[in-house]
Amino acid sequence: MSEMNAPTELPKPKTVEIPETARTLPSGEREFMLDVSTSDLEINMGPQHPATHGVMRILIRTDGEVVTGGQVHLGYLHRCAEKIGENVEWLQYLPYTDRYDYLSAMNNNLGYSLAVEAVMGVEIPRRATILRTLCAELNRIGSHLVAFGTYGLDIGAFTPFFYCFREREWMMALFEKICGARLTYSYIRIGGVFNDAPVGWLKEVERFCDVFEEKWQEYYDLLAVNHIFVKRTADIGVISPEMAVDYGLTGPMLRGSGVDFDLRRDVPYMAYDEICKAGVFDIPLGTGEKGTVGDCWDRVYVRLQEMMESIKIIRWCLGVIEDGPVIGDIPKVIKVPPGEAYVGIENPRGELGHYILSDGGKVARRCRVRGPSFCNVAVLEQLLPGTFLADSVAIIGSTDVVIGETDR
Amino acid sequence: MDFNSIHQRLLAINAPGVLSADTPRAADPEDKADKGRAGEAFVLIDRSEALNFLLAVRDDAELAFDMLVDLTGTDPDAEDEDLWLNLHLLSLAHGHRLAVKAMVPKANAVVPSMVAAHMAAHYHERECSEMFGIHFEGNPDLRNILLPDDWIGFPLRKDYEFPKEYHGVSCE
Amino acid sequence: MMIRTKELTPITQRHPRPLNGSARQTMSLLQNSFEENVLTTKVDWLLNWARLSSIWPMTFGLACCAIEMMAVGAAHHDIDRFGAGAFRATPRQADLMIVAGTVNFKMGERVKRLYDQMPSPKYVIAMGACATGGGPYYKYGYTVMKGVDRIIPVDVYIAGCPPRPEALLEGLMKLQDKIRNTSVIRKPARTA
Repeated sequence: MSEMNAPTELPKPKTVEIPETARTLPSGEREFMLDVSTSDLEINMGPQHPATHGVMRILIRTDGEVVTGGQVHLGYLHRCAEKIGENVEWLQYLPYTDRYDYLSAMNNNLGYSLAVEAVMGVEIPRRATILRTLCAELNRIGSHLVAFGTYGLDIGAFTPFFYCFREREWMMALFEKICGARLTYSYIRIGGVFNDAPVGWLKEVERFCDVFEEKWQEYYDLLAVNHIFVKRTADIGVISPEMAVDYGLTGPMLRGSGVDFDLRRDVPYMAYDEICKAGVFDIPLGTGEKGTVGDCWDRVYVRLQEMMESIKIIRWCLGVIEDGPVIGDIPKVIKVPPGEAYVGIENPRGELGHYILSDGGKVARRCRVRGPSFCNVAVLEQLLPGTFLADSVAIIGSTDVVIGETDR
Repeated sequence: MDFNSIHQRLLAINAPGVLSADTPRAADPEDKADKGRAGEAFVLIDRSEALNFLLAVRDDAELAFDMLVDLTGTDPDAEDEDLWLNLHLLSLAHGHRLAVKAMVPKANAVVPSMVAAHMAAHYHERECSEMFGIHFEGNPDLRNILLPDDWIGFPLRKDYEFPKEYHGVSCE
Repeated sequence: MMIRTKELTPITQRHPRPLNGSARQTMSLLQNSFEENVLTTKVDWLLNWARLSSIWPMTFGLACCAIEMMAVGAAHHDIDRFGAGAFRATPRQADLMIVAGTVNFKMGERVKRLYDQMPSPKYVIAMGACATGGGPYYKYGYTVMKGVDRIIPVDVYIAGCPPRPEALLEGLMKLQDKIRNTSVIRKPARTA
């Protein structure tokens, strides 16, 4: 008991020499900085995190508030899509394609179908092509809505998320009418599309386009030019065009850095040849309007503008669609002749490529998926060092990574 | 440029490692077993020259393949003694693509790393090495990227055995 | 669509891990100490009502089901009207873990760790076919865990790929029914 009450001895203070560079205050005291040794802190921005857009793990090494290094760990959602492709039949694989980039399932189905059709050499009817284009662009809008809304959530703006999801519910209702599913459609199949649009569907899509244009202005006013949002995202995470090409970035990541390249215009597929000749839509590029070319704001604004360009493409589709069959002449059990092909399409995230190798049977030999997010994420290790911890969240969000596609 | 012009240009600039080109052809009417080859054409290269090939086609002005879109492998058959290394290149300036293939023997699956030509190769090589067991010489960090660090086996090979359990949890 | 629930067991018997410190002292004074009577039923009812009306989920979206979970959190299918709208990022402040998406072995270790970090009483909803039993990746998915109930106890399973937001809300209501029927104060009808 007496030991508890005895006063503890304080450690003796170290004597420090006053350096020459010490400042003399008006009161006569000397002021100088003590050299204290610190060490870097390693923080795990773990697989479960509200702002990593899925299950991605980033080991961040920080020196105070400044990030000195970031290591990306993937694989927490690896679902063996490529192995499954080698074991199930051609058409049975289609639902798996929905699930890698679950925000733009129509585009995934499209990529896979185009790759298989490239080897099969089957002719797609005109109505199917137009419906495919329409659905793919509508899905692009939906995907960008989620990207924009959740990016606002990451930055701290809660309201745009609800506005974006309001439009997304409408889009999902449209898709539910045409194919029965809200998120994983399996609508665009090998040879065409699954079934025809119900009566009145096209009119509803037109109404959606009309209303969306006003809503777009809401998103722009609410978030894109919001002073706080601009301050948080301008001049952050700048990707130079050379870095973008070197890392194999595609999609808004590439165009946000000012590189004028879009697969729909430059390596056209389906009806995009016709669409680009008619000058229906423009390719928005990052211009450094609010900061530097290639910063986070540019990438987000490119996505916002792409939504409006997709509306233009949808209107064009509604103008040219004619009656006709929606699926080509393909057998019930699909057998693809031996051969291989790689087809890359413009996913909302970049180039989604499918490399199909067939040996003539019912099952693929190799079904390789080149996910755009996998390549886009590689640039994070280069972008994170030197930023503040809060900015690192903004950078990760601006890559618009979907982990289903990164890990497949 | 279409595939034939690209192939001619590759031969004209003496691109290192080019062995042959395989183009789609119809089924041979004489040979019943031959079903022809559909799809797209590719260039076959020697795997030891892969890095030099990429640098050469990147620096040439007419080809200008400045983006490595995909780097992956294929195991064509369980009995086949070669793996394939598939590269897909894209030219941003001209908008043409090229599919490149190299044979990698399963017994000695070593390929020089292509990170020096394109930084995009880094992650692709990591995935390729864990899925097929191809070792990329010179890659700065060849750990597992998608699979757990202590995963046994190379999943995308055709002779892969599915595991029975992992860390006490059954895989059945 | 079928929603299956496990057999009803009281919370104390479901999680054999003891509480620490003063919480143990207080709760053990109350739990299973009283015979069933009007007063204990009312206290039970009150405690259960309080718990089921403010289930705070943890943001645990793994894959495609996470998008439907986000849609449930958004304005159209509002989960906040059930009191469950406060999604907590940290497991230490959450009482519900909605496992939305495929769990593979690499992620499973983290799922178990996060589940252990949640304080009792805690509930788990396995949302979607993947969390229930492996989903479409059942047959050839070598890294996919065939159902999250191989590592953590699940209270409600929701079928669907992905389940509609209305299905998730029905699953939540099923969980609320389950909580409504648990006895915290009363002695359970079945003895251990």
